Amino acid sequence: MTEAVPPDLRTSAPRIASLRLATGEGIALRIVVAVILSLVSSAALVALSGHNPLAAFVALAKGAAGSPHQIGVALNRATPYLLAGSGVAFCFRAGVINIGAEGQIAVGGLGAAAVALHWPHFAPWLVVPASLIGAALFGALWSGIAAAIHLGRRVHEVLVTLLLNFVGLLLVQEALAGPLGQFGAGFLQSPLMPRGAWLWKLPGLDAHIGFIFALVAAAALSVTLWRTPFGFAIRVAGRSRHAAAYAGFSISRLTWAAMLLSGALAGLAGGVEVLGIHHRLIEGFSLGFGFKAVTVALLGAVEPLAVAPAALFVGLLEAGSLSMQRQIGVPSALVVVIEGLTMLFILAATVRRA
Amino acid sequence: MIEFLEAAIRIATPLMLAALGGILSERAGVFAVGLEGMMLMGAFGGAVGAWATGSALAGLALAIVCGAAIGLVVAIVAVGYRADHMVTGLTANILAAGLTAYLMRVLSGGGRPIAIHLTPLPPWPIPGLAQIPMVGPLLFVHPPLTYLAILGCFALAFFLGRTQAGLTLRAAGESPETVLASGAEPLRVRMLAVTACGGIAGIGGAVLSLQQVGTFTDGMTSGRGYLALASLIVARWNPFAAAIACLAFGAAEAFELRMEEFGLPVSSYIVQMAPYLIALAVLAVLGRASRMPAAIGQPLPWDQ
Repeated sequence: MTEAVPPDLRTSAPRIASLRLATGEGIALRIVVAVILSLVSSAALVALSGHNPLAAFVALAKGAAGSPHQIGVALNRATPYLLAGSGVAFCFRAGVINIGAEGQIAVGGLGAAAVALHWPHFAPWLVVPASLIGAALFGALWSGIAAAIHLGRRVHEVLVTLLLNFVGLLLVQEALAGPLGQFGAGFLQSPLMPRGAWLWKLPGLDAHIGFIFALVAAAALSVTLWRTPFGFAIRVAGRSRHAAAYAGFSISRLTWAAMLLSGALAGLAGGVEVLGIHHRLIEGFSLGFGFKAVTVALLGAVEPLAVAPAALFVGLLEAGSLSMQRQIGVPSALVVVIEGLTMLFILAATVRRA
Repeated sequence: MIEFLEAAIRIATPLMLAALGGILSERAGVFAVGLEGMMLMGAFGGAVGAWATGSALAGLALAIVCGAAIGLVVAIVAVGYRADHMVTGLTANILAAGLTAYLMRVLSGGGRPIAIHLTPLPPWPIPGLAQIPMVGPLLFVHPPLTYLAILGCFALAFFLGRTQAGLTLRAAGESPETVLASGAEPLRVRMLAVTACGGIAGIGGAVLSLQQVGTFTDGMTSGRGYLALASLIVARWNPFAAAIACLAFGAAEAFELRMEEFGLPVSSYIVQMAPYLIALAVLAVLGRASRMPAAIGQPLPWDQ
């Protein structure tokens, strides 16, 4: 007797192994232990370089949260990581390993700049929302291309999203060298956007309002994941493709949804960065953001709302790293080492044993 | 034309070495997304080793050690702890980017990376063969690591296809249970394969720092590891086919470098996209036809 395979499982993309991350009880403790382990290892690295690790970490903490200005810098840093990271976490929950946030963020920034710079003279209050929508659409378009190749031709999503990252970054450069570029600027950037397209500042802080958007988006994703039938289907698909297919969920539709959603959020991350910080599109404005998004997604136990403290942690680390370099002489690149080590420890500590 | 082909070979060399390492890892059943980080650490080790000792050979040795160290990290987390291969590889790349940038600055004792200036390895013309017209200058006047890459293809093909150890390695990627039944340990086979992959990819990185540029700069591999990964998949895990795929990528980039001579009405950014678009297109066309090693990406059962 042949086993009946649900049609959707046959036509869907091959699953080699879904991301086997433990997400149940005790996960927070394991992640905290992983963070402590990576801080201890990094302290050893600092000590090896002949500096006092304690002094370095104190300088880092002061630089990160010593003043309202510094906290604002950290919030601004955390914003794109939270937006893109909660989307990545959502994708990971669906068992879709989308590591294309890097390209989706860049293309999203391109979308925001294209809208903001070409906005006609009516309804100036619409510029910011329209630009953000443009950013989200461009990001979703970029992840949609990846989803189409992945599902249509059964190429592993990691490869497709990785390769599209490079194409996306080059696409931004091409736009800046051509239609969107500022002529004679000396390097690749767009002209400054009109003031009306700048994101509002939060009162009392040097942060823009993007962090609030990001928090709302993460909370909405979390509610979707845990309180809706769609979120239930996503979670089932992430745990077992077979179970999801037998339950009648369409794997390819769930993959499409997760990819488009996370692409839109990554695009939004790029748009917020462009409209809130630089007020123009600059080549490489989001370099490494996509991989930071994966970092904070793992650090937040692939739970969209828990990505918020994770993104804030990374934002604070980065905001403090420069003053650590200035005051103690420990290179700020140490923060990237801490991020890499933390991820490795988390990966090792949270494998699901099933 | 000869110059163009020479440039293609030059650009393909680091990719070829990384792809050879990646084949070793993927044939053993572990996705080689960490190639980028392994190459970067290799490039760093090569530059620092040669700078500290004045010997390119010592640089090469340190490149292998550094690349293998990243390989070992991937092996421990992805094979030993059975974490997701793709995300582990990606993480290793982030770690390598951070470590190399950090150490370059620690070595100088200040906030700026240390300045390393090496003389790139000169070509070694092979006596006799180099004098053949046309073919000679194209194939037999290369720096040493290029010959190593070409020899590596033959060595890897022989190892995988004709030796007992190669058979065991392939079995670890197709059916780990069989390896266990034959008395070997799939866990050890996979860990060794991934660590060796790191060492070989490290040589690929050293090609950049020792043979082509003569220094190390932050993130100098700039995606070459991912291209190598794409080329070995396009080549269906065959060393010679991978070499050809790498040469195709090399030719695309060499074409970009010479585009101004051709005077094409396309911007250089569009042409720079070509290798990635070609890789995507080939992967999409192969689609379901490309049969992966059966157990690739699958964790070993906990009792192995």
